[in-house]
Amino acid sequence: MEVKGNKCNYVISRSSNTSPMATFIRRVFVRIHSAVDSWEKNHSPCRRRGLHRDVEQDELQHINTNCLSSYYSVFVARLAIMVMLAILIGLLTLLTWHFTKVYTRTSLNALAYGLRYELLQRPVLRMWGVLNSTVEITTAQVKLSEYVVRKYKKPENQAQQVELYEVMRAVTWALFASHRALNSITIKYQNGFVQAFHRDPRDNSTYYIYNDLTNYTMAGAGPYDVNASSSHQGWNDQTIRSNISAIWYREPLDPNTGDKIGKQKAIPPDELINIAGISQVPYGAPSWHVAVSKFTNSPLLSAAMPVRDAPDGSIVAVVGVTTSLYSVGQLMKELVEFHSGHIYLTSQEGWLLATSSTTPLLTNTSDGPTLMMAVDSQDPVIQTGAKWLLKAYGNKPPPNHEVHIEKAKLGNELYYIDSFFLNLKRLPMVGVLIIPRKYIMGKVDERAFKTLMILISASVCILVIGCVCIFVLTNGVSKEMKLRAELISHLDARRKAEASSNYKSQFLANMSHELRTPMAAVIGLLDILISDECLTNEQYATVSQIRRCSTALLRLLNNILDISKVESGKLVLEEAEFDMGRELENLVDMFSVQCKNHNVETVIDLSDDMPKVVQGDSARVVQIFANLISNSIKFTTSGYINLRGWCEDPHSCTENGNFRLDQKALWPAPKNKLIQQESEEKSSCKKDKKVILWFEVDDTGCGIDPSKWESVFESFEQADPSTTRLHGGTGLGLCIVRTLVNKMGGDIRVVKKNGPGTLMQLYLLLGTPADIPQENYKLKYADHNLKVVLALNGSMCRMILSKWLFKIGVPTWDACEWNELTHILQELFIPSRYTQNLTYECSKVESISKQEMEVSVFIVVVDIGLLNLSTGIWKEQLNFLDIFNKRAKFAWVLNHDTSNTIKMELHNRGHLLMVNEPLYKSKMIQIMEAAIKEKMIPLRHGGILGGDTHEFLEIDNVHSDPESSNDSEKSEINTIQVEETRRTFSSSRYGAVNNCFLELTEVCSERNKLGANETFPVAANRCNSQENRMQYAEKTVNGQKSLEGVRILLAEDTPILQRVATIMLEKMGAIVSVVGDGVQAVEALQRPVEDGMPAQTKMRDPPPYDLILMDCQMPKMDGYEATKTIRRAEMGTDLHIPIVALTAHAMSSDEAKCLEVGMDAYLTKPIDCKLMVSTILSLTKLQPNSHIISSIK
Amino acid sequence: MDAVSQLQRQFVEHATSLYREGYLDDQFTQLLKLQDESNPDFVVEVVSLFFEDSEKLLNNLATALQQESIDYKQVDAHVHQFKGSSSSIGAQRVKNVCVVFRNYCDEKNLDGCLVCLEQAKNEYLLVRNKLEALFNLEQQILQAGGSVPMMA
Repeated sequence: MEVKGNKCNYVISRSSNTSPMATFIRRVFVRIHSAVDSWEKNHSPCRRRGLHRDVEQDELQHINTNCLSSYYSVFVARLAIMVMLAILIGLLTLLTWHFTKVYTRTSLNALAYGLRYELLQRPVLRMWGVLNSTVEITTAQVKLSEYVVRKYKKPENQAQQVELYEVMRAVTWALFASHRALNSITIKYQNGFVQAFHRDPRDNSTYYIYNDLTNYTMAGAGPYDVNASSSHQGWNDQTIRSNISAIWYREPLDPNTGDKIGKQKAIPPDELINIAGISQVPYGAPSWHVAVSKFTNSPLLSAAMPVRDAPDGSIVAVVGVTTSLYSVGQLMKELVEFHSGHIYLTSQEGWLLATSSTTPLLTNTSDGPTLMMAVDSQDPVIQTGAKWLLKAYGNKPPPNHEVHIEKAKLGNELYYIDSFFLNLKRLPMVGVLIIPRKYIMGKVDERAFKTLMILISASVCILVIGCVCIFVLTNGVSKEMKLRAELISHLDARRKAEASSNYKSQFLANMSHELRTPMAAVIGLLDILISDECLTNEQYATVSQIRRCSTALLRLLNNILDISKVESGKLVLEEAEFDMGRELENLVDMFSVQCKNHNVETVIDLSDDMPKVVQGDSARVVQIFANLISNSIKFTTSGYINLRGWCEDPHSCTENGNFRLDQKALWPAPKNKLIQQESEEKSSCKKDKKVILWFEVDDTGCGIDPSKWESVFESFEQADPSTTRLHGGTGLGLCIVRTLVNKMGGDIRVVKKNGPGTLMQLYLLLGTPADIPQENYKLKYADHNLKVVLALNGSMCRMILSKWLFKIGVPTWDACEWNELTHILQELFIPSRYTQNLTYECSKVESISKQEMEVSVFIVVVDIGLLNLSTGIWKEQLNFLDIFNKRAKFAWVLNHDTSNTIKMELHNRGHLLMVNEPLYKSKMIQIMEAAIKEKMIPLRHGGILGGDTHEFLEIDNVHSDPESSNDSEKSEINTIQVEETRRTFSSSRYGAVNNCFLELTEVCSERNKLGANETFPVAANRCNSQENRMQYAEKTVNGQKSLEGVRILLAEDTPILQRVATIMLEKMGAIVSVVGDGVQAVEALQRPVEDGMPAQTKMRDPPPYDLILMDCQMPKMDGYEATKTIRRAEMGTDLHIPIVALTAHAMSSDEAKCLEVGMDAYLTKPIDCKLMVSTILSLTKLQPNSHIISSIK
Repeated sequence: MDAVSQLQRQFVEHATSLYREGYLDDQFTQLLKLQDESNPDFVVEVVSLFFEDSEKLLNNLATALQQESIDYKQVDAHVHQFKGSSSSIGAQRVKNVCVVFRNYCDEKNLDGCLVCLEQAKNEYLLVRNKLEALFNLEQQILQAGGSVPMMA
């Protein structure tokens, strides 16, 4: 672990030291860090992913492959980095390990070498010591012997001889006793006498061995002379052998004192110890040899030395000392025990001398124990070691016999083998030390191995963990990339979807616009055709059919345009004051025609508290109801369609009627919402009072399944798919309605209805400009003592009206058929009868006294449908009614298809009050007011026809009050209505106005375009003024001199145009002055016209011209500049001279430029006469006051 | 009377061909309508004005386009004027050339301008010839004692 720590330090120090490495690692770390960061970051999007899973699978696939490849590349890159890192760490580890190991090893090796050397040295030293001591003892023995022998030189007698031997024995003992390591000391005298001390190491007993003295002859053994000694004849081994006959004795001695402790005993000669003879000292020098004895199992070292007689140097005796090598072996054992391993000594030839093992060193052969070779040793280690050495070096040992081998494989283990050569004369010895490597390097090796293993496993672990980390991180990164790719693809898809949606809307808008243009042409032409009188009935029917179809198509186009407008967010609601009630009544009027075909009654029921004037987009409001009602009509085959409306003032939370309370409970939101909005808006517009207008469209049609109540408001959604087949339609209507309602701050929904049919409830949040005083009908009509008989076919209408009349204090009688009507009339006016037929309103009827009858005004509202028109009976019925004509005022409710004969007949009979279906409140009011008026001027009975028609018109066009509505379309309708009324009136007398609202709108605007030259660009925002122009243009169609008296300044540089325009204008009766450029134009304005009307020259203040036609491009000063100058001059005064641009540019940008500099209108060259006239008229007549004033002055 | 009716037919044919081939358009018709007793020579007057103006403008254009550094604004103004006058007279083809001419002017394309100028000249000459022929016929008719047929 320490090693590892070192390594870590090493790594760190390296990384901090080497800059490229550091940056690399830093990069790696940064990368990993960022990867981790991003991984964590992208965990949350991961959850969101599922939502858009199925979108654009293909694309994802594609991106995925991209992603995968990049993911792999990233993965590979990181893996490579990690591998490199791991290799680096591994290398560092190995290096560290290597260095530490090498140093340890070398030091350890040095130590081990020392140890081995020491180990080996010690037995060798001991050996040496043994040898030395042996030699010393031998020498000492020799010296002492020489001394003794010299002393007892020439023994004379036996006694002296014995004494000599005694002395010799004592001396020898002394030496022997003093050296316990000695195995034996022998002295062999010249005469063959042997004295020997022997120590048996087996039982530690000491013996004194000597041979029989009887055998000893002084004479026999001649003195060792030089000759003899030199001839060696007496001193060979034979001598000893020859002495075999001698009796050998052995006496045990006390090992300490040397005293004889036992009886002497004869021993066989072969038990003799080695006695050094003369043969062993051939040159008189001490000699060594290793001997074996059968008493010891260890080899013996024996030294022999001759004892010389001093004077002549003859050898008198030979001293032999044997030392057991056992002690060396013992030492070796001790050493080995302590240090382990094996030590052995061999002679140079390889004979084992000593080993550290306990195995025997000798082999018993038939000749007795002999030395064995080291290779034959029974100790396996020694044997293998010796064999190894033999194998390694053979018979040629290294020069100094020193061998140091560190890794010798013996068996399965490694050993150190060291050998030393001990060069003793005649006995060179080789010491071999075999130490298992384990002993010295064991721990180190083990540690080193362990460390290596740890390091390797550590680096492997690092690699593995790194790889895992990389995998995880790259996984995260790849996830992130995937998510990003997905996100991008989603964004892309969304953008595409939005774009395509936009394109769709754009396309729809364009298409519907493109389609509308020809459609308008078609309808316009059809109108012309219809108004043509020379059509046969059949043709007329066909053309009308075409007209209807075209209208339907146009309506569809309009719907699509609306939808696309709404979708593209371009729908902007106008804020203009309009009369909601009137608009709705108008609408119902139109739809009633359609309803009549279906035998459906259209009723409008607006409560009195509805504000008369509200602020909002009247066209859109009307569109809402038109859609709803047309929808209802589509699905209602019989019954009624009721448009109910009431108002709820958000400020006063009082409920204005307890009816529909339950339904209101269903609508908890609006009031809160409104109040909320109110609080928001309060600061901005306090004076604008907001009201909630509630409406219900109630029909008795097929109804909508409750499950579809929500979805019917979606685009292209119909409650029943079969609807398209049966009733047609695209399902856009309700969608538009809801969008519009929502835009007006309201909401719409289908609510539950008792009985068949559908009940749509909606509310709108509209502003009311100010408090408008409510008319008090109650007082007004109650004062006049009105009494009304309602004889109407439609029960709903009748009910509503009678309820309302009752509420305002007008008593009513209801009748739904002719017979009832006759009853009522008779009861009312022929009092004798009424007691019998008290069916209705008993109390009321009773309360009417005769007198009252005289003062009160009876109004009998009769539906023309009550008359039996199919036969001639209706005339009789009229005759019947004529009876009451004096007393009651009859008002007729006409159908749109009521024939002219009936109308004429009614007129002739003096029934002048006629209204078209449907009958509703305001018409009722009209009727009542007419009746009251009539009562005031009773002489006005039965006026002329013209007056009557006037009256009729007045009632019928009750809505065409141009002031009531600012909306262009409305005013247009009105004018067209006027015109159409007039036309139909003139052509087909009382032909009903049965064009529906939408048709009218389109017809009108498109007809404008048609009437104008097709090349003339129509700008939508100028619709209003154009329409105004059109109105004037139409007025002036017949009169050529429409511009009579208008003074026009024409600023035009082109002479042709000057001429053309002048002629054109003058033909219209205008007075034209021509100038050539802008400067002249400005000048002409500033000073009175020279050739102008003299009557007006005196005026400075009012401009000399009513209008300027200004060419845009002129020399000196162009039209724009001139206009600017003129407008600048006008500043401060309230003058505004209309300036009309004339330009050959036909772009809208030019138009914008013209309007920007202050021009009022814009005409393109070539000049279209009609357009010019209408433009001029609209601009000059719009300010009639100034003109009039100026002309008066 | 045969001669007169033939002349009249010729006149009508010529006039209709003028409309058909696009030399003239409704504007010319309008001009014709504007002519009445009070202005008996209105059309001739205007057309001759147009001729004068056009000659001048074409000359101006030619000189303007021959300049070293061409003042395209100037050229444009001329062309614009030419366009205005030709459209006022109802010379449709001249007007169309002028439209193209102006585009080249905007692009400052000299070659295109020159080509257009040539075209304009050609068209102008064509329409001038046609109109003169028409007026000649008219004169002949009047001299022959016939009345000029009204163009629809």
